[in-house]
Amino acid sequence: VTSGPDPRVAPVDDERRISRSDFLKGAAGVVGLSGLLAACGGGSGGGSSASATTTASGAVHKGGTLRLGYVGAGTAETLNPNLGVTPIDQSRIQQLYDPLTILKPDLTTTPGLALEWTPNKDATEWEVKLRPGVTFHNGKPLTAQDVIYSIRLMSKPTSAALPFVSGINLNELKAVNSTTLRIPLKFPDASLQTNFVYYNTWIVQDGEKNFSHPVGTGPFKFESFTPGQQSLFNKNPNYWMSGEPYVDAIKISSISDDTARLNALLSGQIDAMAQLPYAQAKAHQATGDIVVLTAKAPQALVFYFDVTKPPFNDNRVRTAMKLIANRPQLVSDAISGFGTVGNDIIGKGLPFYNNSLPQRVQDLAQAKSMLKAAGQENLRVTLKTSQIIPGFVESATLYAQQANAAGVNVALQQIPPDSYFNPSLQYLKLLFGQSQWPVFSLKFFYLQALAANAPYNETHWHNPSWNTLLFKAIGELDKAKAQSYWNQVQQIQYEQGGYMCWTNADYVDGVSKKVQGLKPNPGGILGNHDFRTVWLSA
Amino acid sequence: MTAVAIPRRSRRVRSSPILSFLVRRTAGAILALLAASILIFLSVQVLPGNAATAVLGRNASPQAVRILEHQMHLDQPLPTRYVHWLGGFVHGNLGDSSVALAQGATHAPVSHLISGPLKNSLILAALTALLMIPLSLGLGVLAAVRAGKPTDHAISLSSLAGISMPEFVIASLLVALFFVALRWLPPVAIVPPGGDPLSAPKQLILPVVTLLLASLAGGIRMVRAGMVEVLQTDYVQAARLNGLPERRVLWHYALRNGLAPSVQVLAQNLQYLIGGIFVVEAVFGYPGIGSTLVEAVSNRDATLVQSVAMLIAVAYVLINLVADFLVLLLVPKLREPA
Repeated sequence: VTSGPDPRVAPVDDERRISRSDFLKGAAGVVGLSGLLAACGGGSGGGSSASATTTASGAVHKGGTLRLGYVGAGTAETLNPNLGVTPIDQSRIQQLYDPLTILKPDLTTTPGLALEWTPNKDATEWEVKLRPGVTFHNGKPLTAQDVIYSIRLMSKPTSAALPFVSGINLNELKAVNSTTLRIPLKFPDASLQTNFVYYNTWIVQDGEKNFSHPVGTGPFKFESFTPGQQSLFNKNPNYWMSGEPYVDAIKISSISDDTARLNALLSGQIDAMAQLPYAQAKAHQATGDIVVLTAKAPQALVFYFDVTKPPFNDNRVRTAMKLIANRPQLVSDAISGFGTVGNDIIGKGLPFYNNSLPQRVQDLAQAKSMLKAAGQENLRVTLKTSQIIPGFVESATLYAQQANAAGVNVALQQIPPDSYFNPSLQYLKLLFGQSQWPVFSLKFFYLQALAANAPYNETHWHNPSWNTLLFKAIGELDKAKAQSYWNQVQQIQYEQGGYMCWTNADYVDGVSKKVQGLKPNPGGILGNHDFRTVWLSA
Repeated sequence: MTAVAIPRRSRRVRSSPILSFLVRRTAGAILALLAASILIFLSVQVLPGNAATAVLGRNASPQAVRILEHQMHLDQPLPTRYVHWLGGFVHGNLGDSSVALAQGATHAPVSHLISGPLKNSLILAALTALLMIPLSLGLGVLAAVRAGKPTDHAISLSSLAGISMPEFVIASLLVALFFVALRWLPPVAIVPPGGDPLSAPKQLILPVVTLLLASLAGGIRMVRAGMVEVLQTDYVQAARLNGLPERRVLWHYALRNGLAPSVQVLAQNLQYLIGGIFVVEAVFGYPGIGSTLVEAVSNRDATLVQSVAMLIAVAYVLINLVADFLVLLLVPKLREPA
């Protein structure tokens, strides 16, 4: 994902614990109560199975308006795929446009607007054939020129899609004919098609400039949009997947306060809410008045260390810190059990994930002896945390208690949410911090977080031979060979890296019982915002 | 913001104390607003980050940030930006949303972005004020007349209970009672863009009641205190001894003087509404100016925050001016040339 946590997101908290003065401070930029979570929207992938779905039973009942509530982002909400950074942006973009490649709920991919991807023999150039017969909402047929225009937009320095296309040699990018294009690369990439699943890379029309009345090829077409309030999109009757979508219209509202969003769902003013807080999810699982949609997702919640600075430049200290964590307790207490235990490497459930590494478990005796060997028996260290993502402060507090048992003193320092992921303030400057990575391909996590020149190198990892191995893994067309490279890449991270991934947290949303056919999807919240085959029972 | 004291008599003023009062107070108001504009502008500047980093999120590479800062004119010097913004504001031009400029728009007037939310908030505030003022007066007078009796205690206790709880607690309790338990009223007040909040009046009941409960107590207690004091004065006693009907004593003689201190408190209550409305809007998901401002702050939408904050400052100052003027009209003594 490119984005991970979104810095604009206000903190999560039970607003009942926030006093009015805190609230108004929020208005002044320190803490706000409105928002929540975040970027999980991001991306994707994941995991294993998914539970609790809305079940489609009986005959499909078409028509009606599907009404959805998301955490809003005020005037920053946008319909420009390249500028979207929050889940509400992601959802709107995914209704209006289509991807070249579709991410399936099992985290493999299937053709979207692009039918065939053919690499040359060293995977440095790809020929892409587009799906014939696809038209934009204004009737114009989709051509290679639209895709080239979209890729050029993605390549602008201010585009959130930049990381997905930065390997493309733009000067040589060209159309072979009206439905075929050639994409030359700066380095071998054996899975180029997976670069185009993420919503920031969805395809717009050639010449699209201001996105005030956007035209896409997606299942819904633009009707109206007021940033920070509401959008209305109508069914695209000429959608290339014939018979879809099932509903006539989709209305997406910004309701930032968690309680208000839940109340809107409970009172029937919306049909589904994104991002149901864990505590409420537990309560409503028990009462059964709504469907709690949970997707087992590769959404890593991590602690991380700067591996270049003492005491964490000593791998014995890093390993000891990993051995201190009681992960099952962190999962059950910090995120109410909505997650699975993590094993320090990121992307569980994705293709090429290394399943052969033993699960790391708490071992205080070994942690103590490693700290002793490193001369850090009475280690004192400060963990900077923030309310920006649910579970951050809770897990930090609990980890500090667990560390006490190994004689390590972890002091907590809370950072305002709007500074925590801001690169000009705190982000990428932390010795010991927390992060969230909703990932949908190993390649993107490693290119963004750990490769040489990675933009989000939280752990300050620099290792030339490991980097060579990573690019071999990315460029290898032979699946078995690629898997063995990827296994080594991940094993080194597991043994020496600066990431301690304690959980892969679920996506948790609330859905009315009226909503049928919405399936949990490890690719993103609310079934990865895919409502094409969702319908409303009468 | 500023509770303004009752204007003092001055020896220098000879003719038309009302006019000179108006001139002095208006000049003071303009100075106060100028100071507020500087404070608002500077405090927005010291917020960590700006709309560029907010729009880009973690993607904020230095190059990308520079491009967006240029689009938002943030590369101009601070005083230039201040003068440009305030100059526009004075002429009714609230500027262009910084976030929209950062996203590549060339024209995104703040006035256009806030007109809907502002209208929604004003409707909520006006409804509350319409109920708050007569209720404060009526209940306050009733409590004063029945001072020390059960009615007085009941009014005092219940209004105190209201003021002791923050709005979000009151709101949660009301939702628990009227939605969760009784299913009488909707727990949220969702208004579509451009829609009229009054077209679904049921939605507005809980927000208005929340604001009322949180704000009534101050007014009631002040009216009561003023009235109790006045009812014990010699001239009220004299009026009673002269056999005037109690009703006439109360409404004709006592109320007018008893009200003077309450006007200031009611003005403060109106100002309070501006703050309380933020919380209430968030809790009920009501698309008003409060939620717009909160989100603008987290987006670092400098122009929008500055202009909305400035509008609020203008509202505060105007309410104060009107309140002072009313006091002047209510208390003849203040109008006498000394």
